[in-house]
This record gives sequence, C-alpha cells and structure tokens, in this order.
Amino acid sequence: MEIEAVRGRVSGLSWEQRFGLLLVAGVVVMILDVIRRLAVGELAFTTLSTFLWRGLVDGLLIGLAAVGLSMTYSILRFANFSHGDLVTTGAFTGWTTAWVIGGVGVTDIGTRLLINADGSSSARELDLQIFAEPLAIVGGLIVAAIGTILIALAIDRLVYRRMRTAGGIPLLIASVGVALALRYVIVFFYGERTRGVVRSSPRLEHPAIFWTESIVVHQFVLVVSAVILIVGLHLLLQYTKLGKAMRAMADNRDLALVTGIPTERVILATWVIGAGLTGVAGYLIVLEQETLNFNTGWFLLLLIFAAVILGGIGSIYGAITGGLIIGVADNLMLVWISGDLTRVAAFLLMILILIFRPQGLFGGVETA
Amino acid sequence: MLRVEGLDAGYGDLQVLYDVDLEVGNGEYVTVVGPNGAGKSTVMKSVFGLTTHMGGTVEFQGVEISGRRPEEIITHGIGYVPQNDNVFSSLTVRENLEMGAYILDEVPQDALEAVFDRFPILEERQDQKAGSMSGGQQQMVAMGRALMLDPDLLLLDEPSAGLAPDLVEDMFDRVDVVNEAGTAVLMVEQNAKEALRRCDRGYVLVQGRNRYEDDGETLLADEQVRRDFLGG
Repeated sequence: MEIEAVRGRVSGLSWEQRFGLLLVAGVVVMILDVIRRLAVGELAFTTLSTFLWRGLVDGLLIGLAAVGLSMTYSILRFANFSHGDLVTTGAFTGWTTAWVIGGVGVTDIGTRLLINADGSSSARELDLQIFAEPLAIVGGLIVAAIGTILIALAIDRLVYRRMRTAGGIPLLIASVGVALALRYVIVFFYGERTRGVVRSSPRLEHPAIFWTESIVVHQFVLVVSAVILIVGLHLLLQYTKLGKAMRAMADNRDLALVTGIPTERVILATWVIGAGLTGVAGYLIVLEQETLNFNTGWFLLLLIFAAVILGGIGSIYGAITGGLIIGVADNLMLVWISGDLTRVAAFLLMILILIFRPQGLFGGVETA
Repeated sequence: MLRVEGLDAGYGDLQVLYDVDLEVGNGEYVTVVGPNGAGKSTVMKSVFGLTTHMGGTVEFQGVEISGRRPEEIITHGIGYVPQNDNVFSSLTVRENLEMGAYILDEVPQDALEAVFDRFPILEERQDQKAGSMSGGQQQMVAMGRALMLDPDLLLLDEPSAGLAPDLVEDMFDRVDVVNEAGTAVLMVEQNAKEALRRCDRGYVLVQGRNRYEDDGETLLADEQVRRDFLGG
C-alpha cells in the first residue's frame, strides 16, 4: 500500500525533478563518503582542505572569466567563442607589462616585450613574484584589464557592431573567426613556446591562522582580487544607473530601446566590464599556474561555458556560482578518481544539466 | 500637436501603411481601430521611429520627427507603451520606473510621486519584481514607466490585450485618468466599441489606409462602421 503511494508520487514527478532528486542524492552520498573517509583516516583533513581551497581558487578564476561571457551573452545575445582568446589576451598583455616593469636592468627590452620569446632569460632571473616585484605584478594586473578592454572594443567596432542585428548564429560563427585570428596574432608576436613567466609563489606559514599548513601568497592575492571584483560588479549591477540599464537590456532589448536607454552605450559598457574581468582572469590564471601559452584561454573555454550553462546562460550570479561548482567539483573529485578524469565529471555534469535543466540551475536569462 | 500626413511606412521592403493621415490635438484622446492586420500598431510604431519610413511626414509640435530614432523622439515628449513584453520583468517596479527616466541625469522625484499618485499599488509594491505582478499591474508599470518623462503624448498599443475581461474596464479607467491629467493619448485598440465610447476622436484603418474618421460617438452610431467593424 505504501509502496503504491510512493510510486504514485514518483511517477507524478517531471524528469527535471527526478534529475534534481538524483543529483541531490548523489551529492549527499558523496558528502557522507567524505565524512566516512575522514573518520576512518583514509582521507587526511589537510588533503580535503587543500582540495577545497584549490577548488575555490579554480572556481573563482573560472567564474570571473564566465561572468564576461555571460554578460556579452545576455546583452549582445550571442555565444562568444572568442572569449577564451580574450582570456589569453589578458594574460599576454598583463604579463608583458609585468616583464617590462620587473625586468628593468636584468634583461634587454626585446626579451621583456615578447615575454622571453627567445628563451634568453627566465622568471627566476627576474625574480618575478609578488614580494620581490609587487609593482610589476600589480601593474600587469591593471594593464591586463585595460589591454583586453581595448582589444575587445576594437573587435566589436570592426566585427560585431556591423552585425548587431544579424542574430545569434552568424555572430557565433563570426566569433569563431575572431577567436582564430586573435590566437594567431598572439602566436605571430610571441611564438608558440610555452614559457614559465612567474616564479613559484612565496608561502606564508602560520598554522594558527591558516587552515592549511601554509598559504600560497599568489593564490591568496588571486582570491582577494577576484572577490573584490565580484562584489564590485554586484554593487554596480544592483545600485548604479548603468547597472540597472544593463539588467534592463539583458531582460528586454526592444523595450530598452523604446524606453530611451542608449543601447550602444550600454553595449560599450558591457564590453568594458566583461572584457576587463576576463583579462584579469587570464592574468590571474597565469599567476596561479605560472606558465603561459597561446592556448591558455582556448583550453579553458569549455570549462567557462560549462560554468555559464550550469548557472543558467545569461545569469551573472549563476556564472560565478557555476564557476565555483565546477572548480570545487573538479578538485574534490580527486578524492575518488584521479587526474584528468575529473574533467570528465565536470563535463558529464554539464551535459546532464543541458539535457534535464537547460535553463541552468538558477533559471533563465536574467542578469540579476 | 501630432500631425501625420500621407504616411507610407512598413518593415524593410514590406509596405504596410499607404497615405495615412492622422492628427492628435493638445490633450486629445484619439483611438485607432480596425480589423486585424490593418496596420494599427504600425501607425503607432511609425510615429515612434520603429518602422521603415517610406514617405509622407510625421510632425510633432511643429518638428519633423520621421526617420529619427526612438531615444531621440522620447526627448520631444512622446511616450510609448508597446503591446507585449512591456515591463522589465527581472527588475523591480521602482527600477522599471527609473528606467523610464534614463535620459535624465537624476530620477525626477516629482514624476515618480505623480506616477505613485495615479497608481498607488505601484508604490506599495515598488520593491517587487515586475514579472511577478498580475497582467493589470504590469500594464500599470508599463504606463507608469512611459509617464516618467511627463510626455505630452502617450502612445498605447492595444493596452487591453492579454488582460482578463473584468480588468479591461479598469484599464480604460486608467487611460481616462492619464488623459484627464492633461496628457494626450493615441491608442490602438481591438476592443473597438469601448475604445470609441471613451475617446474624443477615432480613426478606422483598413488595409493600411484611412477609412473613416470622426468623433468616437459618431463612429459608434454609424451604420456602416457598426456593420463592417463592430460586429453589428
């Protein structure tokens, strides 16, 4: 009798709800398993906290990059496949600046301008890390934002602006072209070589304050910068006139037009903010992984899209949350599976979301 | 105040309006009725610069406004409430109203107060998301947004569309309130009888051309108009 009742209730659920239940059940089982492993000593607490911390670091980076993608999607209405290469652009412009500033008197200007394309110097020789060269690191961060903004605006002027009303698919295809062009312009100048551009981060040890044995300063800088930017973006969107107009335009572009919102100015602001955050994300990614390559952003693009889809395409808060979920899931999966397979878990999650809840975990096109 | 003469307009290559004449005086309440596909909404969009201008003139307070962009036309004192999707549903009621005054440097507090006076429920619900309100209330938000710049002329595109029948009467009352406060109204309506009863003057548009033009009451009483367009 009771089984019948339960069956009736289950068959009354939609596929979406069943998927949700399954997902929640899966997460609960995993959390219980983590607790069990901690209890029997299979998993050290420090290992778990390291996974979580690295998840937070990766998640914030992906989230920061995903915000830019989500913004251009919700306001310009197309999936920008050149977004990954804007990440790369930020990394290259920023680290060029860091090398130019940090390498004064150490190596010649040509080597610095092309970030050691000739391999004649090294990050070690420049001692490029936050304590030794704070000016270079911070200067690079600022230029990464500005450089990416300028390049994104130039691309918008040259390509996307002419196609403003062309619809999502032509714009998407154009953006693939832009992605390739941008990537190989970078290769033209900097070459294909992967290079180490930052020294290993200094560590601070202070077991009383930090939950891990030591803290990696570069990661700490990254987390603080990302959180400041995200909070700043939130304040801008919620409380400024421009932010409200951006939400209005994401919500209903035609209505924004007849309301008298200057749509081209809002689009300009969208590129400035979106590309700025993206460039910073690219710069910080390199600060964390210490190496730089012309494919750095391209390889991240799928993860960025996964974050955006997870949070609901067009939702900025969704993109950040999506990034965090992907980052944490990607790292926490190491408890059960090893190495590259964690990516499989992240993308499997993305595919399941696309099938069962295509509007994303947090619902439709909404910037707020 | 608004004078449309010999207007030809449409979308891209498709011409919808042929030689349309129309006038709205200061503070006047004018409706455009006609069968589906007659180009009623297109008249309104043409005034607001949302169609392809193909000929004729649109003059507002002596200034030629045809071919100008909506964000410019707004500054001349015309407000427009589209038929569908006419609120920013993810924004709060207050934010919707603020967007109506985007072209001003600051939100005009007196205009905001005036809108709240006309539609008190909006003040009560100002922090609620517009999308979570009922159809009638959303219509108020949309009208309120268009009134934030205190326009001389308000364009209303089928305001009764999508409203429950018992709310239609309330909607017409609200248009009366707006008009009585001195704002001229140009309204397109499918609910022709009620619209003609309320307005000062009406136009019947058929296949993109003027067919009849007269006082609302006269049109309502006209045998021909009744038989052809008002269903007896």
